[in-house]
Amino acid sequence: MPEDDLAEEAARLTINGDNSDRGDLGFVAKRLAQEARQTLSSSGGSRGIRDVTEEFTVAAKQLQPGQLVKDEYFTLFEAVGALEIMDPKMDSGYVPLGDTLEPDFDVCKGLPAEQVLWIMDELLRLTAVWHDGYPLSQTIFTSLHVDRLLSPDNRPPYQLSYGDMTLRIMTVEEQLVHIVLRAYCVALVKSCALVLHTIQSQNFYEEEDFVTHLFGRELLPSTGANDAIKLLDEAVKFLDGAEVRQVMRAALLERLHFAQTYISLLITNSADWNTLAAMGRLAETHKLAQPIPEAFSDKVQRQLATSTPPRPMIAISWDEALQRWTEFCADVVEADRLTCFDVCQSPHALHRAIWAFAYREPQPNTFARAYLQTILFASEQITEGMAFFDLMLTDMRDLALAGDVLADPQSFLIEMPSDSRHRCSRIIEMFMDKAFDEYMNLYRMVCQNRCRIRRTFTQSVAIFDSLETEAMKTDAELESITPGIVLPHEDGSGKVALNPLTSWVKYHRLQTMAWTTQLGFETDIYLPHELSMMYWYLMVFAQRRCKLVEHIERFLAARRKRFASSRDARPDDEAAASQEWLAVLHKQADFEASLSSALWQLTELLMTLGILQPPKRDYAQEQLLYDVRMKSYLGIAHDPIPTLEEYMSAAQSDQSVGETCNNVNSTIADAKGCLAFLKKTNPEQGKYVGTEEQWKREIKQLETTCVAVAVQTSQLRRVADKHGKLVSVARDASMKGMLEVSIPLPGSRYHGWWVVPQIRERKK
Amino acid sequence: MESVQDVQYLDDLLNKTLHLHITDGRMFVGQLKCTDNERNIILAMTHEYRQPSPADVKLAAERHEKGGLPGNVKVDMRKRFLGLVVVPGQYIEKMEVEGPRTPHLTLEADAFDVLTSR
Repeated sequence: MPEDDLAEEAARLTINGDNSDRGDLGFVAKRLAQEARQTLSSSGGSRGIRDVTEEFTVAAKQLQPGQLVKDEYFTLFEAVGALEIMDPKMDSGYVPLGDTLEPDFDVCKGLPAEQVLWIMDELLRLTAVWHDGYPLSQTIFTSLHVDRLLSPDNRPPYQLSYGDMTLRIMTVEEQLVHIVLRAYCVALVKSCALVLHTIQSQNFYEEEDFVTHLFGRELLPSTGANDAIKLLDEAVKFLDGAEVRQVMRAALLERLHFAQTYISLLITNSADWNTLAAMGRLAETHKLAQPIPEAFSDKVQRQLATSTPPRPMIAISWDEALQRWTEFCADVVEADRLTCFDVCQSPHALHRAIWAFAYREPQPNTFARAYLQTILFASEQITEGMAFFDLMLTDMRDLALAGDVLADPQSFLIEMPSDSRHRCSRIIEMFMDKAFDEYMNLYRMVCQNRCRIRRTFTQSVAIFDSLETEAMKTDAELESITPGIVLPHEDGSGKVALNPLTSWVKYHRLQTMAWTTQLGFETDIYLPHELSMMYWYLMVFAQRRCKLVEHIERFLAARRKRFASSRDARPDDEAAASQEWLAVLHKQADFEASLSSALWQLTELLMTLGILQPPKRDYAQEQLLYDVRMKSYLGIAHDPIPTLEEYMSAAQSDQSVGETCNNVNSTIADAKGCLAFLKKTNPEQGKYVGTEEQWKREIKQLETTCVAVAVQTSQLRRVADKHGKLVSVARDASMKGMLEVSIPLPGSRYHGWWVVPQIRERKK
Repeated sequence: MESVQDVQYLDDLLNKTLHLHITDGRMFVGQLKCTDNERNIILAMTHEYRQPSPADVKLAAERHEKGGLPGNVKVDMRKRFLGLVVVPGQYIEKMEVEGPRTPHLTLEADAFDVLTSR
């Protein structure tokens, strides 16, 4: 269909143009409109076709070498993506001399049970590879049996032979192919359709995470998933009575059972994937299989609609494939556990759960992450009795408004328009409406791949910043209806109000800023000489978070004083729980500030000693480099980030090496103190219900990181002492040749978010 | 002088739908986007067509007979969508263009204008 072609072409153009500036988009739009007009209005067919071979050749010859006649909107940039016909590397339809267009394999011929078993296992292996993100053209579509079923020449009920099968009497081997293998293939194809549906209903990134391209094929549209199950049942029945060796019968039945379980789980969207994992027995019977590689071929790509060059079939071992299936099943089961009712009662606990899921090793595949998103977002609520609205209100209440009538769910049910609670609730609802999308993104975006989490959160920062303006307006309105507690300002100058919504938005903004920086460390986007600056900023973000939490805690304490005299225990209980949690948040921010301060000081010292140096760049200017690195934060209007000058004046280059090492050590001691406190908190206090294991593990990793910093610092101190540099002020880069430093890559760190430079004495 | 007319001729063909028959028997149908003096052609929104194989003909005949349809068997060429392609000039055996207006007339009209303007 011309519209599908347009869509395909448009999709491809969008991907290519992702990084281009706005001007190219206008071009592309014009060109698409032009092509659309052409395609839809072209006369087509055999009428109005004129042979122009001679004329064209003559005209073309008259052009100068290198002279092009081209459409004004067609750019040579796009031309690079054109497939060159007759080039074997680019032309998927090229048939070399002596080769046939189609593989020479009769899919209708009968096969012994051992070979059928091998084909079924091969398909299982290829399905695992497809789940990893490889396109169907390199995986499941390379099966010649599947290719025949999906061929555009085939018709329902999609037999392997195009003709009528029922009239012939089949041999056992033929029945194994046409009844057993066919049912298995149909089930696997329908399973693909269900997987695609789940993935495409949620957020994911095409080609980064997964390839949904169907290459012009349809996935057996007239056959439903339940029809596939029926076919499998018939195949099982046949096998039970068939003249096949018992051990082969059992092995084949296992595969059919696997296919049945797999497709049933997908149909019901169940989380009971343990049952699938229990079929690890497939590994034992695999050795009975007899290879028949001729049943698979990459020549199928010659007939698939593809705008890409020919690609190889993917090779991972059978054991690796089984490993993938096991991990896959475990991920789905865990997704269900992490989003259970109890966890969902606390927004923070739920949030932690999603981060824990994203950080499973190895990272869960696209389907598992789409599955998690389906659990959370496919219905109108997070979990039974907890609508998205409730989740958001609970978040606000837990953080800034514990025990306060403003965030009391009961207040929102008041219908009397003159009641201040009714008026406030409506105002708060309006604000929540505005904040809703970005708030839900806090959950949804963590289900994406790591790089995308960082990139989308970087954009979130700007959105939270503008939401802060809205929050300030809303807080002012609320204050005018229900004046809240007012306290003297921390620095003694005047009064200050809580501004709960502003505080809430600010908290999420600061947290997101910290995350984007941390994820930057994890995805290795900072050069070694930038570590110092980024750790300083991380410290600043953490300190600001500390201050904010202190601000909220002051008002919470004041609110609790008021409850002391009232009879209703509930608000006070709520406030008490919030107090405990805020104490945890405070300590976590303290820890972050301390550890990043230590690492800032250490890396700063390494820079001034000349051991960590920026590359020689004659045309680089500090300010420009800074602007590029801090681009996403520069536009923040509400308490803007410190400038480059402020950062540079904070550098401690006036201290001696010995003094800096001492400071690092005392800062690390502070960090360790925070960890000791956090270790003693229980899941309710820290709101880490459901992620207890991850909590413990992370604290251990952070403890190790602290120790590592101390070790590296003492290493530095030792060498400095040896060369009598301990008391020197480091500015003269005098230790340049004495030490070498290496930066641990992602994957070889104690904690992925903290980069501890490894310092070694350089051997002469 | 001649070059201007030829460029005009080629220019007029831009964005028209061409049918390119190449040496291995395939046909490419797409919109002309670019060409050069070696007759290399860039086509957009391209479909590749292949002659049906003997097996295709047999299948179509069987279905035709089963369906009890009158008349001759119609066998479609195999078709698939490729997108943007470049066909090197050396492989092109035949080129056809879709469309009502013939560049011949354009050429003659231009020639006439040139003559009368003298």
